[in-house]
Amino acid sequence: MQTFSFAANERKFFGICMVIGVVSLLAIYLTDDPLHSRFWSNILQNGTLFIGVAFISLFLYSAKIIAYSGWHVQFKRLLESYSLFLGIGVIIMAILGLGTVFGFHSLYEWNQPHLVEKDVIIQGKSPFLNWQWYMFATIVFGGSWYFVSRQLRALSLKEDQEGDMSFTIHKKMKIWAAIMLPLGGFTSAAAIWLWTMSLDAHWYSTLYGWYTAASWLVIAVAFMILTIIYLKSRGYYPKVTSDHMHDLGKYLFAFSVFWTYLWFSQYMLIWYANIGEATIYFHHRHEHYPFLFYANVAINFLIPFFVLLRNDTKRKNGTLIFVSIAVIIGHWIDFFLMVKPGVHYTTNKILMTTGAESAAAELTRYTIPGILDFGVFIGFIGLFGYFVFTSLAKAPLVPAKDPYLEESLHHHVV
Amino acid sequence: MSKNKHVLFGLYDDDEILLDAVKEARNQKLDIMDVFTPFPVHGLDPALGLSESRLHISGFVFGLLGALTAFGFMTWIMVVDWPIIYGGKPYWAVPSFIPITFELTVLFSAVGMVIVFYTICGLGPGVNSVILDPRITDDKFCIAFDVTNVDESEQSELKKFFEQSGASEINNKTI
Repeated sequence: MQTFSFAANERKFFGICMVIGVVSLLAIYLTDDPLHSRFWSNILQNGTLFIGVAFISLFLYSAKIIAYSGWHVQFKRLLESYSLFLGIGVIIMAILGLGTVFGFHSLYEWNQPHLVEKDVIIQGKSPFLNWQWYMFATIVFGGSWYFVSRQLRALSLKEDQEGDMSFTIHKKMKIWAAIMLPLGGFTSAAAIWLWTMSLDAHWYSTLYGWYTAASWLVIAVAFMILTIIYLKSRGYYPKVTSDHMHDLGKYLFAFSVFWTYLWFSQYMLIWYANIGEATIYFHHRHEHYPFLFYANVAINFLIPFFVLLRNDTKRKNGTLIFVSIAVIIGHWIDFFLMVKPGVHYTTNKILMTTGAESAAAELTRYTIPGILDFGVFIGFIGLFGYFVFTSLAKAPLVPAKDPYLEESLHHHVV
Repeated sequence: MSKNKHVLFGLYDDDEILLDAVKEARNQKLDIMDVFTPFPVHGLDPALGLSESRLHISGFVFGLLGALTAFGFMTWIMVVDWPIIYGGKPYWAVPSFIPITFELTVLFSAVGMVIVFYTICGLGPGVNSVILDPRITDDKFCIAFDVTNVDESEQSELKKFFEQSGASEINNKTI
């Protein structure tokens, strides 16, 4: 079977991306406010995005194993490689967690004792919103996902060598996948409450876990489409046809609509009920980030919906690449909107109480993403891409003895 | 129906045999009238050389019509005809119109596509559809040729094709 070789020019490309990211981070660190909120919020925004992509790939992979899915089997190594990125994702989130312990960043209002002691609402939430829970969720929840991803990967590689007609190895994979689905479903919601929802510590939404998971799903599918098209252009995956791309295009379309449904459900209920403590979230975004607020829905709903509505656009590389890149940028903006306004609010509040009004006024410059923020995103893409291609190169691209391989080789959707 | 059709058709036991027979018929440039299968057979449409169905275009048009109907009607009611302030919202409260707009989009496109499909296929309540053989709705796969204006020698050619391509039965019917 064909094994992917990580070419030198690809290493160079991802390396340059990473250098851009590091330079951007340094430039941000040297130029931002005294609390370095722009620096840390960039790491949080991209960190949650990419650990989420890794997590949701593992979740999707487990769901496919449980559902006897066969069509994806040819490129299941992609899902495995994405999910292994959880290792790096957990480290990034753990650094942010250490920041809540030792106080080298001030992203979270609930982690500022002098603000909490005057705030009854946050005091009521402090049994959950504290650094112990934050570290627990990051290390134990994230670590358990990483553990499952390692198990599934090891079993999958073992199946390549020793797979036989009794399918004992595949049955073991089914057990891990069955454990992962409820484990991941509940723990990912709790983790995202701590990671990003608690940035707006007074506010909460019961839809938030679904909403971010839908965002992750769209990005993960878009990454898959782009990677497969790229690998095909290098001559790999000869048996992945436009029928497979059609199904991936359907995923991209369907999950984009699903994301829009959740976005709208969250927005409309809050708009309709018009309760002050709930509307503050959207009010802040609507007042200070009006362009991004509408661009978010336009890019992530209108583009995939109207471009991928037709049958043939899901089968053509050009339209798929266009939509994938659009929704990746769009959902990066989505995460920008989840993270930045809350950090902005908290940082302003801290700077005001410490008497640094001029610095607080300075912060309003950062309400739209600058070139440096995109630079950090490019850096994270470089890191993710380098990692994924490295782990792709470690095993044959097509799993030779997966029981559903034949189904994938003869996949037809029309 | 102004004129009756004479149909020569062969029944096959398996969808794989049918698919090969269809490809063979297309190679021999035989003019297939229709193919009947009890379930959708993957790869049959491209094998028959059928172009993509245009039914979904009607779905889009009806969906658009539904969206415009719902949104326009609610706008007319809530802004022009009977303006009410509820919950401190403006008269033209767009987010609260979205769910009903969505519902009517789905309803119009679904019902519209059913009507278009039934009209195109000549189906409907009270219409007595002629079926070549009852078993093609159960376990037989059928290739049918229109032989109304086909002479005997060509018909024997078709019969030979059925025999060679593995048909289990060859029958005639006038519909």
